[in-house]
Amino acid sequence: MLLPLVRRLASMLTTLFGVLVVVFVILRLLPGNAVTASLGVNAGLLSRAQLQAIDKFYGVGESIPQQFFSWLWSMLHGNLGVSLSSREPVSTLVGSALPVTLELAVMSMILGILIGVGFGMIGALHPDRWQDDVGQGLAVFGLSVPSFVIGTVLITYLASIFHYFPSSLGFVGLFTNPWLNLQQVFFPALTLSFGIGAAIMRTTRAAVLEIKNLNFSRTARGKGMSQIAYVWRHLFLNALVAITTMSGIQFGYLLGGAVIVEDIFVLPGIGRLLITSITDRDFPVVQSVTLIFAAGFIVVNTLIDISYTIIDPRTRSR
Amino acid sequence: MKHWRRSKIATVLATVSGLAAALTGGGVFSAAPSGASTKTFVIADTSSVQKIDPDIVTNFLDFEALGLIYQPLVQMSPQLVIKPDLATKWTWTHNGLVLNLQLRHGVRFDNGTLFTSRDAVASLKRAVAAKTADPSASFIGSVKSFVENGPYAIRLTLSHRDASVLEGLTTLNMAMMPASAIANGSIAKHPDGTGPFEFSAWSPGNSFTMVANPHYWGGKVKLPSVKIITIASEQSIAAALEAGTIQMGDLTQPTVVSSLPKSIKISKALSLSYRVLQMQDNQPNSPLDNVNNRLAIECATNRKQIIADALSGQGQPSGPVPLGPFASRPVSAICPTQNLAKAKAYLAAAGNPNGFSFTAMTSDALDSTSAAQATTLQAQLAQVGITMTINNLDSNSYIQDWLAGKFQAAFAENGADPNPYVMYDRYFGAGADLKVPAGYVNPTIQKLLAAGDLATTLGAQKAAWARVSNFLTSHAVWDWLFDAYNFEAMAPNVKGFTASPVTSGAFAALATTHLS
Repeated sequence: MLLPLVRRLASMLTTLFGVLVVVFVILRLLPGNAVTASLGVNAGLLSRAQLQAIDKFYGVGESIPQQFFSWLWSMLHGNLGVSLSSREPVSTLVGSALPVTLELAVMSMILGILIGVGFGMIGALHPDRWQDDVGQGLAVFGLSVPSFVIGTVLITYLASIFHYFPSSLGFVGLFTNPWLNLQQVFFPALTLSFGIGAAIMRTTRAAVLEIKNLNFSRTARGKGMSQIAYVWRHLFLNALVAITTMSGIQFGYLLGGAVIVEDIFVLPGIGRLLITSITDRDFPVVQSVTLIFAAGFIVVNTLIDISYTIIDPRTRSR
Repeated sequence: MKHWRRSKIATVLATVSGLAAALTGGGVFSAAPSGASTKTFVIADTSSVQKIDPDIVTNFLDFEALGLIYQPLVQMSPQLVIKPDLATKWTWTHNGLVLNLQLRHGVRFDNGTLFTSRDAVASLKRAVAAKTADPSASFIGSVKSFVENGPYAIRLTLSHRDASVLEGLTTLNMAMMPASAIANGSIAKHPDGTGPFEFSAWSPGNSFTMVANPHYWGGKVKLPSVKIITIASEQSIAAALEAGTIQMGDLTQPTVVSSLPKSIKISKALSLSYRVLQMQDNQPNSPLDNVNNRLAIECATNRKQIIADALSGQGQPSGPVPLGPFASRPVSAICPTQNLAKAKAYLAAAGNPNGFSFTAMTSDALDSTSAAQATTLQAQLAQVGITMTINNLDSNSYIQDWLAGKFQAAFAENGADPNPYVMYDRYFGAGADLKVPAGYVNPTIQKLLAAGDLATTLGAQKAAWARVSNFLTSHAVWDWLFDAYNFEAMAPNVKGFTASPVTSGAFAALATTHLS
């Protein structure tokens, strides 16, 4: 029991280190640096002495290996560094942005699972009928229309018709004003949930349709088992492994989608922090945020792997 | 069975409607959901306040925001005339080598201390110190000493006559700050100025909040507080205005402005900047080193059509000096409007009767209309056989190539000034800092710029700067295109605000703005 866990942990750490190196190298390959990002074309107006002073301020002169190892050393000591543009500790910036994105991610997943599992189950129980067509139509919509289009249309519609755009008031924490917070997060979460729900819906529908045709399933129906017990115990629980796997994959895409949706809905989450930091060539922030994204994805997928042993007793013996 | 199904659907619909109604304001769609402050005047911008040290800001929004907290000695009025600010009057003595400034009495910083000549000298010395890295330091580079001349007067001694020093003092990069704050190094963390508003809070990337300065020397400020928030898309800013959650939105995209309902008020002003196709005269194997090829481009350009296509008509054709008393009129000495016959004649004179090819870089990240301008000009140039390839880059790649002069031509949005010397000495002057990206070195234009800076009467200045505009366009040094409008979209209850072309004074009218 312990050995697979250690092996999984080692694999996680290796992946994270790989992400660290790749992100670090890619950022250094980008043209420009914090000085040009900060000053723009005005950097050309600075004298040599001024440029030297500002290079020193931003730490631009250090060699790349020197930058990498000093950053790695700081990371290992729990220090994420200081933002080059705002001079705020990266941990402070991430600390205020991460809860917003987590809340958005959790709410999007809940809505996505509700939409996906709900329509997937209904579609599979009534294949090729209007209920199934509605679900399939929603899935095509969710998969083909990008979240930034859905988000832009949604805010424009809500603002022009209902004069409603709560997230533009400035974000309010969940514990400060739960009701306003719910209003601010609901619509961005709904926007993201269409894409998530579409993928989960298709998986659920396919899995349930397959299970419906298996012998044990037909026998249960033949023996006169009640509809609710049949759907819950034989169809849903058996489809859960496929649904959980797809939900884990969607979580990864969710983080990517949140980057755009946070921008549209004015949520001060980690996605928005990432976009601003890339534009500003704020390397310490970009590196830390990317690492958090990667860690989040790896942790969620590891948890999903572990959850299989709970969901499907057959995997425990493997 | 059918009845049961109908009631189930009805229940689901009722639940969904109830949830939607509850989410959007307790059953009724409300303009401002609970939590909205009615006292704070909220402005939205796609950018965010990036720095709070006025000496090093370069971002437009930083100038606008900090322009409410800090003040320079002299300011540029919305009519582009230099007028008093913290200096009430000034005189030139010693044959234009000494500038004497009288300071305003009774002005207090936010920390409560009185503004005196000690603060003024300390502020200017900080601005020109190399370690500050003030991008405007070169504008007053001819000043060799700053001296207190009593508690309310300072004296600037110049190494040579340079009338543009006064323009140099109008920028927020020359803001006045307390000598004590400079000494203890608190400027970069806590703004402390003399303007109508005081710094309150800053959340990098999200918001910047100020409160009214109760001791403001310019009179009572009616808005209790102002908050600038970042909304990354202009469409979302428009939505927030319609929802009534913000009072003002900074907009640049004419398409978004035209989509706003009539209830939203718009105040627009031509920006103190210009759009231009910068052409490099000195690139190896480039057709643009031939003045006749460049003149052909200038004559094939239809500025009005570019404005119509790229900005929905929201701009005006511009020459080298877009606004102010020395504005270039006509916009070009050779081809103020499109003249294809003349363009073909220049091509023939260049030995390229069938045209030529070149590449122009753009960056939509720096100027959202850049690629649209390029596409329209591309079609216009094709009419005379000139092929322009468009290379659209991200902002940092563009800046990197621009600074290194690694381009044949570049669509650029450059900052302007009513004084042409301030605008062009940095590009074409004898010791130009930006001569590499400018890509044009010529002793005649250097002499014309120096002569203009020495002119003292308005008539002499007008004549001198007309000669500069004439030279720049008759040699097609660059292809000057247009000046665009900036828009401030406002909620219906905002009163007393008018937009200004001056960047650091863009929000200055908030000192007298109120909500009805």
